[in-house]
Amino acid sequence: MSDRKIGVYICHCGGNISDYVDVKKVREAVQGEPGVVVAKTAMFTCSDATQQEMVQDIREQNLDGLVVASCSPKLHLFTFREVARRAGLNPYQYTQVNIREQCSWTHTDDKPGATEKAIRLIRGGIARTALTEPLEPIKIDTVPKVLIVGAGIAGLRAAVGLSDLSISVILVEKSTAPGGRVAGLGKMYPHGKNGREIISQLVDEVKKRKNITLFTGAELVGKSGSIGNFTVKIEVGGKKVETVEASVGSIIVATGFEDYQPAAGEFGYGIDGVVTLAEYKAMLDNSGGKPALGGREIKSVVYVYCVGSRQQTGDNPNKYCSRYCCNAAVHAAIESAEADPKIRQFHLFRDMRTYGKFEALYTEARDKGSVFIRYSDAEPPEIQKDAGGRLKVTVKDLLTFGEEIVIPADLVVLVTGMVPRSNNALVDVLKLPVGRDKFFNEIHPKLRPVETVVDGVFICGTCQGPKNSAESVASALSAVTQSASILKKGYVELEPLIAMIDPDKCKICDVCTGACPYSAIEKGQHRGKEVAVVNEAVCKGCGGCAPVCPANAINLKGFTDDQMESMIDAMLKEIV
Amino acid sequence: MALVNPEFVDAVSRGEFNASACMNCGVCSAVCPMGIELLPRKLFRYVLLGIEDRVLDNTETIYSCLLCKMCEANCPARVRIAENVRYLRYYINKKVFKL
Repeated sequence: MSDRKIGVYICHCGGNISDYVDVKKVREAVQGEPGVVVAKTAMFTCSDATQQEMVQDIREQNLDGLVVASCSPKLHLFTFREVARRAGLNPYQYTQVNIREQCSWTHTDDKPGATEKAIRLIRGGIARTALTEPLEPIKIDTVPKVLIVGAGIAGLRAAVGLSDLSISVILVEKSTAPGGRVAGLGKMYPHGKNGREIISQLVDEVKKRKNITLFTGAELVGKSGSIGNFTVKIEVGGKKVETVEASVGSIIVATGFEDYQPAAGEFGYGIDGVVTLAEYKAMLDNSGGKPALGGREIKSVVYVYCVGSRQQTGDNPNKYCSRYCCNAAVHAAIESAEADPKIRQFHLFRDMRTYGKFEALYTEARDKGSVFIRYSDAEPPEIQKDAGGRLKVTVKDLLTFGEEIVIPADLVVLVTGMVPRSNNALVDVLKLPVGRDKFFNEIHPKLRPVETVVDGVFICGTCQGPKNSAESVASALSAVTQSASILKKGYVELEPLIAMIDPDKCKICDVCTGACPYSAIEKGQHRGKEVAVVNEAVCKGCGGCAPVCPANAINLKGFTDDQMESMIDAMLKEIV
Repeated sequence: MALVNPEFVDAVSRGEFNASACMNCGVCSAVCPMGIELLPRKLFRYVLLGIEDRVLDNTETIYSCLLCKMCEANCPARVRIAENVRYLRYYINKKVFKL
């Protein structure tokens, strides 16, 4: 029936599988399947000894297909592909059948049922393997150059980092000067260094390096190509708008954040003497001594925390914590107390989050006389002007007996958080994934923190969520490492399990283009007629296009229609 | 409703009363052998906020403290609680009892 020679290995997984699935019975049931020449069970198929046994079987029996029925492919797909490769078998002629997560663990209450299901799943795997063809990874040569969008602290530091690794950089900044937010700051926590100085140091470094090209007043307007070899279009403003085109191997997005802008009347915003944290910081930086408002010295300050963050109600509440503001406000209080030790400062907070080493700042602020008052989100503080024109803040202090207190103040500082920048044009150009909170999304917050679903496009800094400047720089350098790991190798290898279009059948109806979430289908030529062509580097092999083609011209390599149909037949054997 | 008076703390302490390191953990109230619920966490907050009426309302409580320093020994923020209670008594002696 089949001229293939397939080896099937069924794993006990210590007991994870064999406690519920009768692996011996499974082996007996599948050893007679068409093409199967070896059928074995093993305590741990992933163990060195069993891997070695598989290599030996493949070589000695000249196997041209391998099936391992064990855990999820997420765990061991690459392990067994590697076994195939070591034995001289094409890795893409290997199939992993998941009889643990999708069988034994799910059906612990039904052992005969689990055994029956395992048999059917493995039959399907064998049927797929019988129709596999050798495939080779798609290899793409990379351009040793990176485009960085945004020249704030993250973008600048990334540029210097890449330059140190002898990778060329094109740095694009929308505004007329590099530096971003940090360039406008004076003393910053925790080291007390001046933001302006840090930026001018970085800008000097950038200017010194020949392999960094900085465009200011510029925007990214076009991107084509794929990981390792993008073509980007940059519009550079000025007296005459010019368009620059360049090839780059990867793209780093570091476009930053926007300060939360309170609405008129929100916590009294709009009343004279009610300012945001950013505005107060500017007052402190520019005062050169004691902070003053309209020429009058400020003797008492009330800070209201969590303005624009951790919102529970409203149309589009910012549910996240902005993370940097507790520390920044506490630092501003320390600075104020240093300028004027007699200043009275009251902090109205919901929860203090001076995490990690910044706890020391919180202690220092209390030592310097700041009083912290906890308020409930249900009863937020009210800010008004009294008859004498003085600001007064009314709040219930949860840390006494819920005492309602009135604090007279010269200045009220709304400790505002970070909000995402609206960057629709850039999102369009790069197809950036935007989260529910409107910040850009990474693939995995812990394991792939700067990669996006668009291969070769990285995000870092506050465009992916609230961060302080140290955290921004850390993520920028992580994007540098990720870029360098692709570009320094000189090439990237991509999975060949992608869509292919039969040009003879294609009638260029364009239905597939609309179905593709990655814009991987382009127009091309075949024997003088226009056809749809898959860009191999961009296609992710999701299969979205295959079923919508009215001419049935699209197949997914490794999961062809023939393979899928034979898998279904094998799984339903004896039933239908 | 009580008006916050930042000057009160200076009047109490002549610069010596110091509870600003308090992080409101409540260990002091928990270990108090007299079971004085108000002392010292909440009391000190009233002093820091300058709500004098509430402080004077609790004159009895302030004098029932044994000054055993159980709270002070257990305070993670190392607030000198017994000292602070003495400053408060000194203030009340003068202001209320005219001693």
